[in-house]
Amino acid sequence: MTWNKPRPNIPEDMQDFWDNMKAHKFVLWHCKVCDAWYWPLACCRNHANEAYMGNMEWKEAKGRGKVFSFTAPHWAFHPGFKEEVPYIYAMIELEEGPLFSSNVIGCDLSEMKVGLPVEVIFEDVDNEFTLPKFRPLQES
Amino acid sequence: MDDNNFKDRFCIVGLGMTEVGHLPGCTPRMMEVEAGRLALADAGLQPEDIDAAIQGESDPGGGVRPRFDDAFPRMLGLPVKVYFTVGRGGEVATLALLAATQLLNLGIAKYVMIAGARNDWSRTQKIRQTGRRGQVFMEKEGVWGRPFGAVTAASFHGLLATRHMEEYGTTSRQLGAIAVAERQWACLNPQAYMYGKPMTIEDHQNSPIVVAPYHLLDICLQSDGATAFIVTTAERAKNLRKPPLHIMGIGFGEHMGKLWWEKKNYTNLAVEAAKKDAFRMAGIELKDIDVAELYDCFTAEVMLQLEDYGWCKKGEGGPFVEAGHIGPGGDVPVNTGGGLLSSHHLGNLTCVAEAIIQLRGEGGARQVKDAEIALATGHGGEIVSGQMCSIHSSLLLRR
Repeated sequence: MTWNKPRPNIPEDMQDFWDNMKAHKFVLWHCKVCDAWYWPLACCRNHANEAYMGNMEWKEAKGRGKVFSFTAPHWAFHPGFKEEVPYIYAMIELEEGPLFSSNVIGCDLSEMKVGLPVEVIFEDVDNEFTLPKFRPLQES
Repeated sequence: MDDNNFKDRFCIVGLGMTEVGHLPGCTPRMMEVEAGRLALADAGLQPEDIDAAIQGESDPGGGVRPRFDDAFPRMLGLPVKVYFTVGRGGEVATLALLAATQLLNLGIAKYVMIAGARNDWSRTQKIRQTGRRGQVFMEKEGVWGRPFGAVTAASFHGLLATRHMEEYGTTSRQLGAIAVAERQWACLNPQAYMYGKPMTIEDHQNSPIVVAPYHLLDICLQSDGATAFIVTTAERAKNLRKPPLHIMGIGFGEHMGKLWWEKKNYTNLAVEAAKKDAFRMAGIELKDIDVAELYDCFTAEVMLQLEDYGWCKKGEGGPFVEAGHIGPGGDVPVNTGGGLLSSHHLGNLTCVAEAIIQLRGEGGARQVKDAEIALATGHGGEIVSGQMCSIHSSLLLRR
């Protein structure tokens, strides 16, 4: 199926992140020195940083969190979303701490609520990118 | 600069506003020229008096180069020494005034013209012709949420409303009370886009949900139009056509410094620092404010500011607006021209222009009696993973 929605913006300093998504590894920006987690790119705020954030790395995270806030577009401002409205766009508070925004899928809007536990799933789009999305946490 | 060196030293002496709403075929530069021409006439000044000019622009540059192919001071024939563009999303006016006062302070300029235009309504119509719905904003590249369908400002700003509802039990009806109050003001303002179109809380509740939790009537207008100001020193302001309006204080706040770990910036705006500096310079308190022109891209932004400035406690904005404080006849008149929600959207040029009109006593049917001191605010910034790096500005003016 051809992708008829906006494509992500992939600046060169985010290429590694998107490559990890393609490999289905959910990574966050992590400090090698003090184990602090960030999203998106940031200098570690706990101490001095090396040149060009050399003390930071992309590191696999749990990919789990809770819904912090959300909105639900009911109008398809872009025609690619016509079949999906209303869909959910949420801020996820990840277990590592950072807030991350994406769609929550597999959840009816009437059941959506702040605090809902969610986990990452990967939507492979094409050779160029895979989107990290979230779904309600499946009990294992 | 100590406080006393700023307060009341600089004045707004000219205001020019084009028609607002739909101006098809009129470019932003042409609208800026017209607003500038009107501001000169308002102040009783000639083009040759203006020796510096600043453009207020939501998206300065829009890339690596200025995106306009001309500049309003050239078209107006202003013999300026310096011209540049400032702005950050909806915040254009107070950044421009900050720069203008420094040009005056340094003796670089005697009279500074500020002008800004938008043609968002016309741009939106063009997008509609391509089969897309509405807002210009979605065309912007580089915003994280686009592939996830977060393509309009409401997708991001709505996160604040949802969070406020979750933490404080705020309801859509309470947000609607803000839209209704602003519409009441707009119906007293013949320049407002929604003049003659009254609405009730039921109209708000029955309007379609565009991006939940926001109904259509929680969302600001898209406008074509331009506004211009002329700023000079208090000394020079004495002998001009209109009574001078003194700049008492200016302040700014910024959310980006605590974006990643505080997680509190979904139920407030960056008011704290902005308020502190502006009110310190002015030497006044909140109760001294006669009219408040609060940046209102969406209804929740107004509620957050009412709480953040301290008209009511955090979380109590809902009952506060339902009690009728902010509409015509209320004790805290807010967005007295109808605001971005019901008058027009030229960023916070809208807010500052209405403050000027009120302090001059030119508000006609919407005039707040004896308005002496006004607060005008601004808001705007970058959207990073759904989070907003947002500026807040406080401007205090007195007649």
